[in-house]
Amino acid sequence: MQFLNQLYALSKRNIILRYKHSLIGFLWGFIKPLMYLLIFIVIFSAQFSSVKNYVLYATSGILFWFFFSNIVSQGIQSIIQAGGILKSVKLPALLFPLAEVTTELFNLALALLVYFIVMQWFGMVYTWQLLWLIPILIIFSVFSLGIALILASLNVYFRDIGILWNTLQPALFYLTPIAYTEDLIPPRFSFVVHANPIYAFIKLIRYPLYEAQAPNMQLFLHCTSISFFTFIISLFVYYRLKNQFITAI
Amino acid sequence: MSLLVALNHVSIRYRSNQSGIFSIKDLITSWAHPFQTKEILKDITFTLHKGESLGIVGRNGSGKSTLLRAIAGIITPSKGHLKTYGSIAPILALGAGLEAELTGYENIHLLLSLYGRKISAQAIEEIVQFSELDHQTLSQATKCYSSGMLARLTFSISFSHHCDIIIIDEVLAVGDLGFQQKCLQKINDLKKEGRSIIFVSHFPEEVIKICDQAILLENGLLIHKGTSEEVCQHYKELF
Repeated sequence: MQFLNQLYALSKRNIILRYKHSLIGFLWGFIKPLMYLLIFIVIFSAQFSSVKNYVLYATSGILFWFFFSNIVSQGIQSIIQAGGILKSVKLPALLFPLAEVTTELFNLALALLVYFIVMQWFGMVYTWQLLWLIPILIIFSVFSLGIALILASLNVYFRDIGILWNTLQPALFYLTPIAYTEDLIPPRFSFVVHANPIYAFIKLIRYPLYEAQAPNMQLFLHCTSISFFTFIISLFVYYRLKNQFITAI
Repeated sequence: MSLLVALNHVSIRYRSNQSGIFSIKDLITSWAHPFQTKEILKDITFTLHKGESLGIVGRNGSGKSTLLRAIAGIITPSKGHLKTYGSIAPILALGAGLEAELTGYENIHLLLSLYGRKISAQAIEEIVQFSELDHQTLSQATKCYSSGMLARLTFSISFSHHCDIIIIDEVLAVGDLGFQQKCLQKINDLKKEGRSIIFVSHFPEEVIKICDQAILLENGLLIHKGTSEEVCQHYKELF
C-alpha cells in the first residue's frame, strides 16, 4: 500500500516535471510521434501503397516504440537522478524506473485516446479485440521495465550505459519495422528482424490495433516469455548491484 | 530504558576506483584492479537508549554521514551487527530529497508520500506553520529558495511526524537566529517527550546544548565515547 502511494507520488512528480515551464504542456507528447508520422507519410506512403491503411500501420508502431524508448531513456537516468532522495530516505531504488513506466503508461493512455478518435478516418475498425491491448500492454510494460532496470542499475557504475543507449536507440528504431514492412528487409538479413524483441511486441500490438484481430497465440506466448525472462534477469542484476548504489551515485 | 539502536563492531566498506569516475575506459586502463575497497567505518560499537540523545563529531570525511545512513537503514554494514528498534525519521540534511523544480507545496506532498505518511490538510498546515514560510514562497519552485529557506522546509517536513529516533545532519547552521532557536526549542520538546536525537554538528557548543552523550569519529574509527562535554573537548584538541 505504502509502495503504491510512493509510486503514485513519483509518477505525479514526473508528469509535473516534464511539462513544467512549457507553453503547450503535454501536447509535446503528441508532437514527437506526429512529426515522425508526417516524415514517414512523405517518404514511404507511395512506396507502400500496397499496405492497406498505411497511416494506421505506421502510427501503431510509432506510439509503442516511443512508449518503450521513453521508458528506457528516462529509466536509465532515474536512479542516478534520485541520488539525493535515496541518500536520505530508505526507499527501494526500483521505485524510480517503475515510476517511469507508470508515467509513460499515463502518456500512452492520452495518446491512445486521441488515436482512437483520429484513426476512424484512416480505416480503423473498432472491435472487442481491442481489449487485447490490456494484457499486451502489461507484458510490454514488464519487458520495458526489465530493460530499463538492467540498464539503470549498470548505469550507476558505468555512465557509458546511458551514452551507449543514446547511440544505439536510432539504430534500433530503424532496424524495427515501424514505418516499413517486414518484407522490405532482404531475406539474408531477415534474422535481424526476427531477433528483435521489440518488433515481436509491435507485431503483437498490431493484431488488435491495426488488423482488428485476436493476436496470434504463439506470438503472444513468445512475447510473454521474453517479458518474464527479461524481468527475472533484471531483478537478478538489480539485487546484485543495489547494495552499492548509495556509494556509487 | 529500552534499547533503540545497537551497533556491534560495525564496519562499512565500499568499492571505488581511484579517479572516482566510473567508465569503461577506466575499467580497461586499470583492468587489474578496477575497484579498490575503501573502508569508511571500522569496528564501531555503541548503543542508544530511548530518551538519550547522541552527538556525533569529527572532521570532514571521517564517516559521520555514512554512519547516519547506516542507522537509517540506507546502507547495510559489510561487517558486524546493526539493530534498530522503533521508527526512524528520514535523515534531515540540507535540501535532502527536495526536487528543485517543484514548488514548496508540491515538495511537501512528494516527500510526505515518499516518507510513507498520510497526507492531510492538517499535516500540511502544521508544516506550513512551523516553517513560517508564506504562501507566495511555498508556491515558488524550491530552486529559488535561499539555503535558510530550504532548511526551514526540510526541517518542518521531517519534524511533522512522530518518530522514536530523529537524525539531524548539519542543518541548524544555515537558518537565521530565530529559526535556530525555534528548532532548538523543538528538539528540547521532542527530548522531553522521550524521543531520541542523533545529531551531527561541527559546533561543539550546539552538541553540548542538545546531547548528553557524544562520539568522536576519526578516519572511520570511533576514538572517543562519553559525555558530550568530554568528547567535544577531545574534538577541539584535534585542531
